[in-house]
Amino acid sequence: MGLINNIKSYSETLNLSAEKKGLFNSFLQNGFPTIKDEDWKYTSLKKIIAEDFSIEKTGNDIDTSAISKHSLSFKNQLIFVDGKLISSPQIKGVTISAYADFESRNNDAIMNLNASLCNNGFNISVAKNTVVEQVIEILFFTTTENNFSQYRNQIIVGENSEIKFVEKIQNLNNSTAFVNYFTQINCDKNTNVEFNKIQNNTSNSILIDNVDIYQKDNSTCDVNTLIFGGNFTRNNLNFEQNGNNCESNMNGVSVLDDNQFADNHTFVDHKSAHCRSNEMYKGVYLGKSKGVFNGKIMVRPDAQKIDAFQSNNNLLLSEDSTIDSKPQLEIYADDVKCSHGCTIGQLDEDALFYMRSRGIGVEEAKAVLTYAFASEAIDNISVSEVRLVAQKLLADKLNVDLDFSL
Amino acid sequence: MLKINNLKAGIEDNQILKGINLEIKAGEVHAIMGPNGSGKSTLASVIAGKEEYEVEGGEIDFEGQDLLDLTPEERAHKGVFLSFQYPVEIPGISVSNFIKTSINERRKAAGLESMPAKNLLKMLKEKMELLSIDKGYLSRNMNEGFSGGEKKRNEIFQMAMLEPKLAILDETDSGLDIDALRIVANGVNKLRTKDNATVVITHYQRLLDYIVPDFVHVLYKGRIVKSGGKELALELEQKGYDWITKEADKQWA
Repeated sequence: MGLINNIKSYSETLNLSAEKKGLFNSFLQNGFPTIKDEDWKYTSLKKIIAEDFSIEKTGNDIDTSAISKHSLSFKNQLIFVDGKLISSPQIKGVTISAYADFESRNNDAIMNLNASLCNNGFNISVAKNTVVEQVIEILFFTTTENNFSQYRNQIIVGENSEIKFVEKIQNLNNSTAFVNYFTQINCDKNTNVEFNKIQNNTSNSILIDNVDIYQKDNSTCDVNTLIFGGNFTRNNLNFEQNGNNCESNMNGVSVLDDNQFADNHTFVDHKSAHCRSNEMYKGVYLGKSKGVFNGKIMVRPDAQKIDAFQSNNNLLLSEDSTIDSKPQLEIYADDVKCSHGCTIGQLDEDALFYMRSRGIGVEEAKAVLTYAFASEAIDNISVSEVRLVAQKLLADKLNVDLDFSL
Repeated sequence: MLKINNLKAGIEDNQILKGINLEIKAGEVHAIMGPNGSGKSTLASVIAGKEEYEVEGGEIDFEGQDLLDLTPEERAHKGVFLSFQYPVEIPGISVSNFIKTSINERRKAAGLESMPAKNLLKMLKEKMELLSIDKGYLSRNMNEGFSGGEKKRNEIFQMAMLEPKLAILDETDSGLDIDALRIVANGVNKLRTKDNATVVITHYQRLLDYIVPDFVHVLYKGRIVKSGGKELALELEQKGYDWITKEADKQWA
């Protein structure tokens, strides 16, 4: 048994094209990555793929209360339940449809599995010169037990357009749910795109999340990744800058406890001149949690006058928590500004004493300092509703009582 | 209010305080002066409860209870306040949130409800006026990017908000220009009542022109070697510390 066998049986029920068969076979050849793969050195799927998942099983309809409980209540909602699109907003200048196949250049094993067997997801196309003021909220619900499901999404943003998203993947039952997820975002010239990921799933949820972003001249794209929940999370976030004056921004917060695991792999491919990238990832590890950060920045020979910044700061707040952090810079242009910093530490003793001397109890002081540490990345999020939800999730997880109105 | 009895303390194997005796009554202002390295800041830190100092003997009786039995936060709840020589920067926490948390933790310890926002805002406004602080300051992160003078003013602002019984001002004058010094000293003076007491730790006489002490003590090599009235500070300003330290060295030889 195990996941691969179940996937094989499932594939036989599908009528795959020759091309998809080819992709699937190349997945089977390599199988899921193991810790022998450099990119998966600290991230083991072994236990997960030994489990017995059903594949793409559909369950029952869900009622609106389940949706509202997990949503941020934006007007424009795109809602999936067990792979099926059940609600889609009408927005001027934006075309939204359920899954339609598209090609991607990402061809690692897991992406080949996604490309070959997945037939759920969305395609969003934003016309030229369209500024979408309202945030689009995308919700994916899983209702069935021990289910493995895949999503494959594409967002195409036309010239001079702006759009913002917030996304949540939510497991509605108490068993394990494994989601293999892919989104490709094409940002045309002069576009501004923001994508917020709130990863606060149940404690037995597994997620492999891949986002590939292709940017053209003068485009700005922000991706904010907020990890509070889940059992196992692997985020692959790839930016490719194919035009001058692009800006790619990433903010990440991971606050983990118990046996939670989260791995953020980022890759910025600077291919063009006068571009910028900013990356700030903050990790807080409690209990027996484990984090991985791998931030790769590639500066190609033509990418002159670029400015790349990366930081990964981590707090290990328990004896049994761990973090593996690896910055990876490859620079082939000579007139560039690249800086990176990585810290792993505990809370500042002087700051703790300072707070205690003001009457703030030691546990409260630790929580407040931890909150302050992590909130720096949250403060960069432009959508205030997302910022507030993130601050609240952070405060709840750290048991801090802060009044945000003051 | 405060009675320090033969206090000996140090850091690792290095004994810094070698038997301090000091009594402070409500309503009094005491100045502690002395050359560099004499143990002034150590004394302040030990009273506030900094854990890296090891107390080897003695007691610090504060209103009938030995402070040495209490955590730093419990000491603060009892009304002990230390104005830090080097206030710590805390990015991510605004001045208002920090002060609000401090006040409410202290109220919680006393079995009181959190302070209503209306009262808190009124109090913040009053104390900001007292110290000539403008409004934008409340939303700045605690001490982050503050100038030396702003940090010291922020210490006294917290003191004004927390209304301690015993305030220890550790080198509050350092880093202040003369105008800021006047504002800060004026604030401290206005906060004086017959029920609270102030300990001013300083190098120089200058601050004592504005905050006039009832008693002046000279700390040298971990002991109080001379005590007197406010005129002692003036004498030190003219003659330096030599005449006192030489005598002490002779006695200990």
